[in-house]
Amino acid sequence: MPFSFLLLVLAGLAVISYRFGTARARAVAPGRQSQLHSRPMYHGLYAAMWCGVPALLIATLWVAFQPLLVKGLVMGGLPDAYQALPEARLNLVWNDIRNLAIGDVVRAQPAPEIQAAADTFHRLYAIGNSALALLCLVLAIAGASFALRRVSLTLRARNQVEKVITVFLIASSMVAILTTVGIVLSLLFESLRFFTKVPPLEFLFGLHWSPQTALRADQVGSSGSFGAVPLFTGTLLISLIAMCVAVPVGLMSAIYMSEYAHRKFRAIAKPMLEILAGIPTVVYGFFAALTVAPFIRRFGEGMGLSVASESALAAGLVMGVMIIPFVSSISDDVINAVPQAMRDGAYALGATKSETIRNVIVPAALPGIVGGVLLAVSRAIGETMIVVMAAGLAANLTFNPLDAVTTVTVQIVTLLTGDQEFDSAKTLAAFALGLVLFCVTLALNVFALHVVRKYREQYE
Amino acid sequence: MENSHVRDAMHTPTETEGSAAAMGAKIQAQGTNVHYGDKHALKDVTLDIRAGEVTSFIGPSGCGKSTFLRCLNRMNDTIDGCRVSGTVMMDGEDIYDPKIDVVQLRARVGMVFQKPNPFPKSIYDNIAYGPRIHGLAANKDELDEMVVTSLEKAGLLAEVKDRMDSPGTGLSGGQQQRLCIARAIAINPEVILMDEPCSALDPIATAKIEELIDELRENYTIVIVTHSMQQAARVSQRTAFFHLGELIEVGDTEQIFTNPRHKLTQGYITGRFG
Ligand SMILES: Nc1ncnc2c1ncn2[C@@H]1O[C@H](COP(=O)(O)OP(=O)(O)O)[C@@H](O)[C@H]1O
Ligand SMILES: [Mg+2]
Repeated sequence: MPFSFLLLVLAGLAVISYRFGTARARAVAPGRQSQLHSRPMYHGLYAAMWCGVPALLIATLWVAFQPLLVKGLVMGGLPDAYQALPEARLNLVWNDIRNLAIGDVVRAQPAPEIQAAADTFHRLYAIGNSALALLCLVLAIAGASFALRRVSLTLRARNQVEKVITVFLIASSMVAILTTVGIVLSLLFESLRFFTKVPPLEFLFGLHWSPQTALRADQVGSSGSFGAVPLFTGTLLISLIAMCVAVPVGLMSAIYMSEYAHRKFRAIAKPMLEILAGIPTVVYGFFAALTVAPFIRRFGEGMGLSVASESALAAGLVMGVMIIPFVSSISDDVINAVPQAMRDGAYALGATKSETIRNVIVPAALPGIVGGVLLAVSRAIGETMIVVMAAGLAANLTFNPLDAVTTVTVQIVTLLTGDQEFDSAKTLAAFALGLVLFCVTLALNVFALHVVRKYREQYE
Repeated sequence: MENSHVRDAMHTPTETEGSAAAMGAKIQAQGTNVHYGDKHALKDVTLDIRAGEVTSFIGPSGCGKSTFLRCLNRMNDTIDGCRVSGTVMMDGEDIYDPKIDVVQLRARVGMVFQKPNPFPKSIYDNIAYGPRIHGLAANKDELDEMVVTSLEKAGLLAEVKDRMDSPGTGLSGGQQQRLCIARAIAINPEVILMDEPCSALDPIATAKIEELIDELRENYTIVIVTHSMQQAARVSQRTAFFHLGELIEVGDTEQIFTNPRHKLTQGYITGRFG
């Protein structure tokens, strides 16, 4: 039977054992349930677990290993002539067999050995699947009856169930952690491969970025140099412009919201500000590319400046707007967390409202605000869509905001989109860039969270 | 956030001015009412606070002592939905007059709170803050001088003179409260309001503050809210008893504690309620 159907049956069995478990627990202690160590519900769950968990585990392992086993058996059954083939050819043969068996691609005239192997493949799978189904059902029923037989006044079903739940919770959190570790490791290994082709020092300190590598020796225009400094400066420039917009605007709006605004205004304006954070970045991107960049160019040309049609300024400004809600909502939180007693103390000394804010509230909230700004910076550094659309691709080493620049994220996108081979320096460079990006944002986040947490402790 | 002050036009300043000054009244409240939204927290309080004396407010909690105290330096202005009506005169001037600058008023009427609330700045900067915003010191030396004198007056100098740059929040509770008192006297106010200044302190720190209040009486008019009747008896010359937002009785401390005129006062000081 198909796997999904098997799962359904298992689930059904688990539900049935739950029912039996509760019913049995009730029957063990008729009318004096308080004498049961665990409530009937736990006995039910206990039975359901014994029914479902072992069977599921076996099924998972089976599904994971069956293909390997089948492959071994099928290939082992091939005539000696095939066994002698080199690895690569053998893989092709295996593909043929599989396609034939699954009926994906019908070759006109399969060799008789191949046809035979395909039949074996088919048969093995059929046997495997029924064996699995049978095994699972037996395990489920055996587990359930074992659990049901153990139901008694003293069975510590609750403790057992809690233990299993804990294991599930741990496993879930492990998924997140392991994914992170996996991503980091893959970044790390691919970067190491890149660094065997390009020395790390050249990558980190080289001033020229032109990742077109030659596929053939006679190709022109493919210098293949990987000095990432222009990318770093581009990222830095755009982030800087973004922060110049986001920090003052965000901070001042936070101060207005928390100290001056009427409660009703705040109730409307705060969610509206936070909507900014919900606009998809691609929308910001075309806003930057189609509205802001041309405006800046016209404006700049009006003043006699030469402005690239894709400029760091356009991307940075729009990115700044995008980050405003980060800065303002964190600042707002920390400003509100400054105790009223601080304000009272200042007012009682005859400080005006703005003096109180400048001299007492903002300094008291400063660590938290800095934390918020750092989080915003790491957001800006990692932002991709806006820059792809508005800042251009030219890896210029410049600090002129009116020039086109490119950033780390943009280069990663361009290196990996389109048809690529996955072991050229060009594609591997993307991993090295990703690693740098990861390290920088990680460091910023850790530092920012540390600052924010330290500030929280101060008043609690 | 500033609330509107419904002022009673019937009490004209000129009527009471002469006689009050003669009696040495620093502050005169007349028919003062306070509402928090719909709640009538202070009902028609008329009370004189004499210069150079310590006046204490006693009464069960929630009876409006703090509310009345905050009327005297207009701290109620900072509370949303709080309305004050009636008149409060200081040196014959209505402090709720729109012409009065609340910043200047608060420079003349300092306040110390229930929980010590030093700023998260250094000890020096805590004290120097008031003089700085009011521009009291012409130069750094004068400012240093002011800080030292204030700490001296608050009896804290000996304990902190080696650590002026360490944060004020690092001091003990009693030291923090004396720091707050020093901060208040640094701008040389005429009146100091204290709202249960000892309720967060241990007995020894409390005794120090009480001693300090007694010394400060020479130069300042002091109003103290306290929940401890012994404290009121120890430090104050006049005592006012509040109950449910009303001023029940006011008189010399000795008279209030030995020979209260009102049954409620008697009940409270003998510990039958409150
Ligand atoms: N900010 C406020 N908002 C609303 N009601 C308040 C506020 N402050 C005090 N009150 C109310 O006013 C009354 C008097 O309070 P308060 O002056 O603090 O009493 P006391 O200091 O004598 O204990 C109390 O009933 C209290 O609930
Ligand atoms: Mg109070």
